[in-house]
Amino acid sequence: MSEVEVMGAWLAAVVVVWIYSFVYKDNVLYRFAEHLFVGTAAGYSIALSLDSLNKTAFVPLGKDIVTNWHLIIPLLLGLTFFLKYSKKYYWVARYGIGVNVAVGAALALRTAPMANIIKQINAAIVPLWTPTDLQTTFNNWLMVLITLGGLTYFIFTLFPKAEGKSTSVHKIYRAFFLIGVYGMMVGFGALFANTIMTRVGFLIGIYLQYFQPQPYAAIIAVVLAVIAIAYAMRRK
Amino acid sequence: MTAIEKIDKILSTRQLLYTLLIIAIILPLIYPVGLPIGISSRTKAVYDYIQDDSKVPPGSHVLIEIYYEVAARAELEPQVIALMKQLFEKNCKLVFLSTITYGPLAFQFLQASAPDVFEGKTYGEDYVFLGYIAGQESAVASLAKSITGTVATDNYGNPTSSLPLIVEANDASAYALVIVASSGTDTFGWYVRQWYTPYHTPLLFGALSVIAPSIEPYVNAGQAVGMLTGQRSAAEYELLVGRKGLGIASMDAQSFAHGLILVFIIVGNIVFAYTKLSKRGEKK
Repeated sequence: MSEVEVMGAWLAAVVVVWIYSFVYKDNVLYRFAEHLFVGTAAGYSIALSLDSLNKTAFVPLGKDIVTNWHLIIPLLLGLTFFLKYSKKYYWVARYGIGVNVAVGAALALRTAPMANIIKQINAAIVPLWTPTDLQTTFNNWLMVLITLGGLTYFIFTLFPKAEGKSTSVHKIYRAFFLIGVYGMMVGFGALFANTIMTRVGFLIGIYLQYFQPQPYAAIIAVVLAVIAIAYAMRRK
Repeated sequence: MTAIEKIDKILSTRQLLYTLLIIAIILPLIYPVGLPIGISSRTKAVYDYIQDDSKVPPGSHVLIEIYYEVAARAELEPQVIALMKQLFEKNCKLVFLSTITYGPLAFQFLQASAPDVFEGKTYGEDYVFLGYIAGQESAVASLAKSITGTVATDNYGNPTSSLPLIVEANDASAYALVIVASSGTDTFGWYVRQWYTPYHTPLLFGALSVIAPSIEPYVNAGQAVGMLTGQRSAAEYELLVGRKGLGIASMDAQSFAHGLILVFIIVGNIVFAYTKLSKRGEKK
């Protein structure tokens, strides 16, 4: 490892500890690490975006402008975005945004009905009786009922009301409505469990990737963070 | 103050929960217990798919989208490394790219984390990194039509038209598989719409645990051949390909942390139910 790499590894370990110190109390080291991260991330993204623009447009234009003249059009459309800051010519920005939105929508709509609607409906049409595999039968029933229940839950415009004595249509509606509610609750529960898994995974990764290779950096950062937290608590 | 109220007060101290959580994670990492790791049928199905020569022929081209920031490395990098190992062992040619600005950094970390996997592989012939490609879904659609038409140079400034691997596989039809390792939900949709639907290129998803339920419908509908989910799938895959990595190393800590959270959820619910019932009793 070169000296620069060691310094980088130390900085990573130290900054990560300071960021995590926020869970105990907001402190000056956390704020320093946060600002450092936001600034670095923004700078890195801008640099890469400009590099991408350079590679995609300016370099080909510089090499052969006669063949690549068409690249000037998206460049000009892109530049119109900045006219949003002009009080007089702000409306020109709409052309750039319009073309951008139109291209995105056209590309997505070309295949979205098949990918996001037809295929999904097809996937929901499943056999409700598989004699050799009872588990599949049970799962398929669950999927169909919860799909219908979820759709029923989101019907806001037309639904059978129970006026006086409840009708059979209303009872069926209520049954699907409840299946939808419980189905979604199970879904949200799974999502919550997965969220915990991801966050815990991040913490484990940070330990293994940053703290374990540089334990002294982490220990020093912890000591400093404890001092900063104590100072922040005393000031309060 | 009753015992339940005391527990309620202790549980309300978030600092305690965080401290216990950190201990529950760090201790098993320092002193591994070696809890058994079972391999799920879904992970095995992905492994078998890639092993199947009729589906992923030896020497075929595979595109890998590295769409994750540094924070998500812990969940996605072990998955990608394990998949890479299996694919390189089949002499597959890998084309890496990223439609997120952090991609080049993530790829740099990937290379540093798995030098053994890249060993003996020649850049430009066995693998290529196209770098960050701006344009999101539009870029993904354009890449499917022509890689050289979308990006003039790779991440290191080499003209894409001079790279033998890209010349061999310049559009979607040349790829046996596309692996999307992403920390974002939208990325999977881009590839389903722009690579699978028009060109029927098989997709394989590598997702964070938190977003797995959101992209499950694509897998369920057969629009992807399978999905690896978080560190758990990474650990299983590492076992299958025989390379111990961060996935396996993290499983003990995952189990202990989840156990602790489960205890907190159960105790929290008991306290909540008791408090609610006692308040109801007081009203009567």
